[in-house]
Amino acid sequence: MIGSVPILRIGRTLLLSIQLELSDAVAETLQNDVLLAIEKHGTSSLVIDITGFDFVDTYVARILAETSKMARLMGTETVIVGMRPEVAATLVRMGYTMEGVRFALDLDEGLGLLGHVIAR
Amino acid sequence: MDHQKYLKLLRFDEAELASRRAFFKVGDEDLKRLADLRAFAEQHSDAVIDAFYEMLLGHAETKRFFPDEAAVRRVKRLQRDYFLGLFSGRCDLEYVQDRLRVGAAHERIGLSPKWYLGAYRQYLALLRTKLLADFDAERAELCAQSLERLVFFDMSIAIDTYIAANVETIGRHQHAIRELSTPVIRVHDRILLMPLVGTVDSLRASQIMETLLVRVVDEKARYVIIDIAGVPVVDTKVADSLVKTTSAVRLLGAETILTGISPPIARTIVQLGVEIVNMHTRARLQEGIELALELAGKVIVDRKPTG
Repeated sequence: MIGSVPILRIGRTLLLSIQLELSDAVAETLQNDVLLAIEKHGTSSLVIDITGFDFVDTYVARILAETSKMARLMGTETVIVGMRPEVAATLVRMGYTMEGVRFALDLDEGLGLLGHVIAR
Repeated sequence: MDHQKYLKLLRFDEAELASRRAFFKVGDEDLKRLADLRAFAEQHSDAVIDAFYEMLLGHAETKRFFPDEAAVRRVKRLQRDYFLGLFSGRCDLEYVQDRLRVGAAHERIGLSPKWYLGAYRQYLALLRTKLLADFDAERAELCAQSLERLVFFDMSIAIDTYIAANVETIGRHQHAIRELSTPVIRVHDRILLMPLVGTVDSLRASQIMETLLVRVVDEKARYVIIDIAGVPVVDTKVADSLVKTTSAVRLLGAETILTGISPPIARTIVQLGVEIVNMHTRARLQEGIELALELAGKVIVDRKPTG
């Protein structure tokens, strides 16, 4: 069931706010759904918010990195936002640095990085 | 109370008590035998303690622990209670607490275990003489054995307390050093500076990473300057930890600028074949700060053109 991770569309941006730990199966399904959504909506950017992650294993990290690269091939820039310090430290210690993926501190920053300006 | 803390620190519970008593062979019959000596102990305590202090005061290094007559009188009284405790017929957690207190007190005044052990041996020798004078050889021997068991049990506790107190002190110092060794300074909006001074070992490297990452999120930093001008030796390990820290900083959405790269450090990095990726590098801190401001879309300009 993928119902637990909604894919929100704001203009030409897709927003994925993952608020729970991803199981391997859900991560794979999610990747597939995101790519289908990109194709369907003609998206130009994708923001993945992982503020809710206390822990990311290398498998889920790889799925996220791959999704970002696949999205780029389809013309969509990805930014991963909201990684926690301890998650970053763990990933790096495991030797997984997610090269080629862009990161931002939070959703606001991420959208800014993609050239969006949110009216205040 | 100190001794409560040590009881916890040493994880001294009923199980530990039982195991230690078994190891030192402190049986109920020993405690009974010592309790029967209570009258004997009280009768001789003053003479034994006087002789005991004569020895301590006759030794320059132990003498300094007893600055005046009043101090001697006070510790003599405490000593009397302590020694009579051996003849209380008890060896329970309360007894252990009492003994822990003594170890903690010794540590506090800086009386090292060697004095404590030497003094205790002297006390045993004095008591043995008294035992042999008052009782027949067989009973004196049995009593001396029981006494020896409990005394060794006591000493094990005092030494454990001593070590625990030292370990605790070391831990406090390490904590202070760690805090001092990883300062993070906010130099401008969303620009952090971490100047590293001194040797970077693996413990400190992970401390650096953790401290920095938390601050990046707390301060919503975009740029992090790590200045390594004060690091005497940059080897593969140090370089590797800097690369790791940079990678982790990137995962949070910030960029790292490494400054303080002297010619020897530049040479080392290249010769060691360390791949410096995702990292801006500059020779001097000043250039690093300028770069951070530039990346943040700010410039430093002279107020008046100077010609």
